[in-house]
Amino acid sequence: MKRYHRISWLLILVIVAGALVGSVLADDPPATEAERAYEIKATILCPVCDGQNVLESNAPVAAAIRAQVDDLVAEGRTDEEIRTWMARQYGSDVNANPPRSGVGALVWMLPVLVGVVASGLLAFAFAKWRSGREIEPSEEDIRIVQALREKN
Amino acid sequence: MTALLGTLGVGIALVGAIGALASLILALGSGRNERHSRAFFWIAIMVSGCVVAVVAMEVALLTDDFSLDYVTSNSTKSTPILYKFATLWGALEGSLLLWALVLCVYVSAVSLSFRDQISDRLVAWALLTMLAICVFFFGLLAGPADPFGTLSTPPVDGDGLNPLLRNHPLMAIHPVMLYFGYVGFTVPFSFAIAALVTGRLGEGWLMSTRVWTLIAWGSLSLGVLLGAWWSYEVLGWGGYWAWDPVENASFLPWLTGTAFIHSVIVQERRGMLRVWNLSLLLATFALTIFGTFLTRSGVIESVHEFSASSLGPLLLGFFAVILVVSVALVGWRGDQLRSPGSIDSPLSREGSFLANNLLFALFAFIVLLGTVFPLIVEAINGDQIAVGRPYFDRMLLPIGITLLLVMGLAPLLTWRSTSRQVLATRALGPAACGAVVMGAAVVMGAEGLGPVLGIGLGGFVIGAALRHLMLACRRNGWRGLTGRSGGGMVAHVGVSLLAFGFIASTAFSEQGEFQLRPGEMASVAGHQITFVELTDAMDGPNRVVRAVIDVEGRGRYSPAITQYPTFGRPISTPSVATSFVDDVYLSLIAIPEKGSDSVVIRVLIEPLVAWIWVGGLVVGLGTLLAVVPFRGSRGRRREEQAVTEQAS
Repeated sequence: MKRYHRISWLLILVIVAGALVGSVLADDPPATEAERAYEIKATILCPVCDGQNVLESNAPVAAAIRAQVDDLVAEGRTDEEIRTWMARQYGSDVNANPPRSGVGALVWMLPVLVGVVASGLLAFAFAKWRSGREIEPSEEDIRIVQALREKN
Repeated sequence: MTALLGTLGVGIALVGAIGALASLILALGSGRNERHSRAFFWIAIMVSGCVVAVVAMEVALLTDDFSLDYVTSNSTKSTPILYKFATLWGALEGSLLLWALVLCVYVSAVSLSFRDQISDRLVAWALLTMLAICVFFFGLLAGPADPFGTLSTPPVDGDGLNPLLRNHPLMAIHPVMLYFGYVGFTVPFSFAIAALVTGRLGEGWLMSTRVWTLIAWGSLSLGVLLGAWWSYEVLGWGGYWAWDPVENASFLPWLTGTAFIHSVIVQERRGMLRVWNLSLLLATFALTIFGTFLTRSGVIESVHEFSASSLGPLLLGFFAVILVVSVALVGWRGDQLRSPGSIDSPLSREGSFLANNLLFALFAFIVLLGTVFPLIVEAINGDQIAVGRPYFDRMLLPIGITLLLVMGLAPLLTWRSTSRQVLATRALGPAACGAVVMGAAVVMGAEGLGPVLGIGLGGFVIGAALRHLMLACRRNGWRGLTGRSGGGMVAHVGVSLLAFGFIASTAFSEQGEFQLRPGEMASVAGHQITFVELTDAMDGPNRVVRAVIDVEGRGRYSPAITQYPTFGRPISTPSVATSFVDDVYLSLIAIPEKGSDSVVIRVLIEPLVAWIWVGGLVVGLGTLLAVVPFRGSRGRRREEQAVTEQAS
C-alpha cells in the first residue's frame, strides 16, 4: 500500500470515530417530563385506529390517552407502570411493543435465532467450499496449461 | 345493460382462459407443434372479454349507474370524475377486475414477444401456468367476487368510497402501479414453473425473463413508494410508513424480489444458487397472493382493509396450491438443481450477493413474523397483542445498516476473490465520501449511533456507486449507465438518497401542537408559522373548514378538515410546505367549535423527506436504464466483426 493511502485511511478512521463518538454524546436520554411523555406516547397505540399511535391519531380517545400520559408522568410514575396502567385500561394490544415474556416473547427471539442459524450455515458453507477447492491440478492439467502458454 | 355486458365479458374471458389452457394442454399432449398456436385464438377471446368487462364497469361508474351494487356502494353522483374512474380499484371486486386486466396485459405481452417460440415446451408450459392463474382470477370474478351484482331497486344516489380514497390524485396511480408489480411477477414465476416441469433448469429461462422481472420489480418499487407518498399527503399523521399489515403485504414480495434480482446474477455468471433463486421467485409470487389474502379476507385489522368477504378461504387455498406445487417441483428436480462450482471466498462479489440475500431473507422473515404474530398468539392462547412500529424499527435497524454496508462493499469486490490490498485501494474514495457525509451530518446536528452510522454508510454506498459509474462511463461513454450493472448502480444511488430521507425524517423530526387565534404565531425547530384566518364553507354536502397559515419564508398553506355526511369521523387533510431541506407539515386536529375562531394545529418538521421521493424516482430511472440492454465496447466490437465477416 502506498504511503498516502495509509494516511488517508487513518484520516477517514479518525473522522468516522469522531463522528460516531459525537453522535453518541449528543444523544442524551429524555431530560424533561415532556420528552419522557413524548417517548411513551409514541409506543402506545390508539385503541380505535388500526395501528396509529396516540401521538399521530386525531381520535378523541387518543387525545384522552395523551392527557392521561401527561398526568401520570407528572405524578412521577415509571414508564413500566404507565404502560401497565394503559394495558389494564384499554387492553393489552394498545402497547405497540409486543410483550417480552410468555408466548409473545417469541417474536423477539425467533428472528435472532434464525439470523444466527442462517449465518452459521453460510459460514459452514464457505468453510466447506474452501476445503473443497484445494484440489491439486493433475499432470494433464499442467500439461494443457503449459501447451497453451507456449502457444501464446 | 352494463351489468349484462359486464357479466358477459367476465364469462367470455373465463371461457377464453379455459379454452386457451385446454388447447395448450392438448397441444403439449399431442406433441404436434402446429397445434400450440391455437391457444392464441383463445387468449384473444379472454383478453377481449376482460376488456369488455372493464369498459362496462367504467361506463357504469362514469354514468352513475346505481343499478349496480358496486357503483352504489362505492360511488356517488358528486364524486369528481377522476375518482369515479379510479373507483374501479377502490373496493374488493373492482380491484380484482383490475388485477385480471393487468394479468391480461402481461399474458398478451408474453404471447406477442414469444409468439415464434410457442412450440418450445418451456414457453408453452410458462404460458400454461399463466393461463391457469387467469382461470383462477376469472373464476373468482364469475362467482364469489362478481363485480356486476345488481340491485332490484336502484337508489337515487350511492354511498361513495371512504373519503380518504377520494381526495388525492395519487389514488389513481398508486394501486395500478402496485398491481403491475404484483402481477408482473407472474411472468418469471410461470417461467420458473415451466423450467421445473420441463427440466430445462439451465440459465435459459432466466435470460428469457430478465426484462420482465425488472419491469415487475420496478413497478412494485414505485407502487410501494407511491403508496407511502399518498399516505404522507393524505392521512395527516405526518408519516409515510406505519408497518401496517397491508403495507407489509406489499413490502414482502418486494424484499424477496429484490433478493432475487441480485442473486440471479450469481447464477447467470457462475451457474450457482439454482435452488435458492427458484425458491426466491416462487416465494415472491406466493407472497403476492398471500398479501392479497391478508387484504381481502378481513383477518387483519388495517386502514387498507377491504370489506370482509368469503374470498379468504379461496385465496388461502390458491396460496396453498402454489406453495405445494412449488415445493413438490423443486423437490422432484432437486438432483438436477445441484449446482456445480463453489464460492471461493466470502470477500468476493458472489460472497456479497450471498450476504445480501441472507439479510433480505431475514428482513422478510421479520416483517412476515411481525405481521402475522398477533394472529398466531391469539390462536394459541387468546391474548390480544400488537406488534407495532417500535418493534419493526428496533429489529430492522441493524439489518438495514448492515445492508447498506454490503451495498457499498459489493461493487468494490471482484468475482471469485478479492485481496485486501485491492479492496483497500478501491474502497478509499467511497470510504472518504462516507466519512465526509457522516462528519457533515454530525456537524449539522445529527445524533444517535444508528442514524449517524446509517447516513455515513449511505455516503459510502453513493461513493461506491459513483466510482463504478465513472469507470464504466470512461470506458463506454453514456452507455456505461445502461445495462444491469450501470442501471443497478444508479438505483443504488437512489436507495441511498431514500435512506437519507428515511433516517432524517424518522430520527430528527420535531413536532408541536398549538391552539391559535387569528394573527397568533408559533414556532417549531426554527420555523415560524402564523395563523391568518379560518374559512368555514360547504362544498356540496360536505362541510370544509380551512385554516390559512403563513409559513415564514415558504408562503401560505391551508390544511383542512372535512365533515362528510356519509362518514362519521371528520377527515383532516394536511398541507405540506416542502423543500429539499425539510418539510413543514401542517394538519388540523379537530373541527373548531361553533362560534370559536381558534384552531388546534399540529406542526411537524421533518428533515429531508423530499429525498425519499427523489430517491424513488432515481431508483425508477435506474430500473429503466437496467432494462436498456448494455452494449459495451466489447459488444460493439463483436458486432462490427460480425458485419465485416458478412461483408467479406
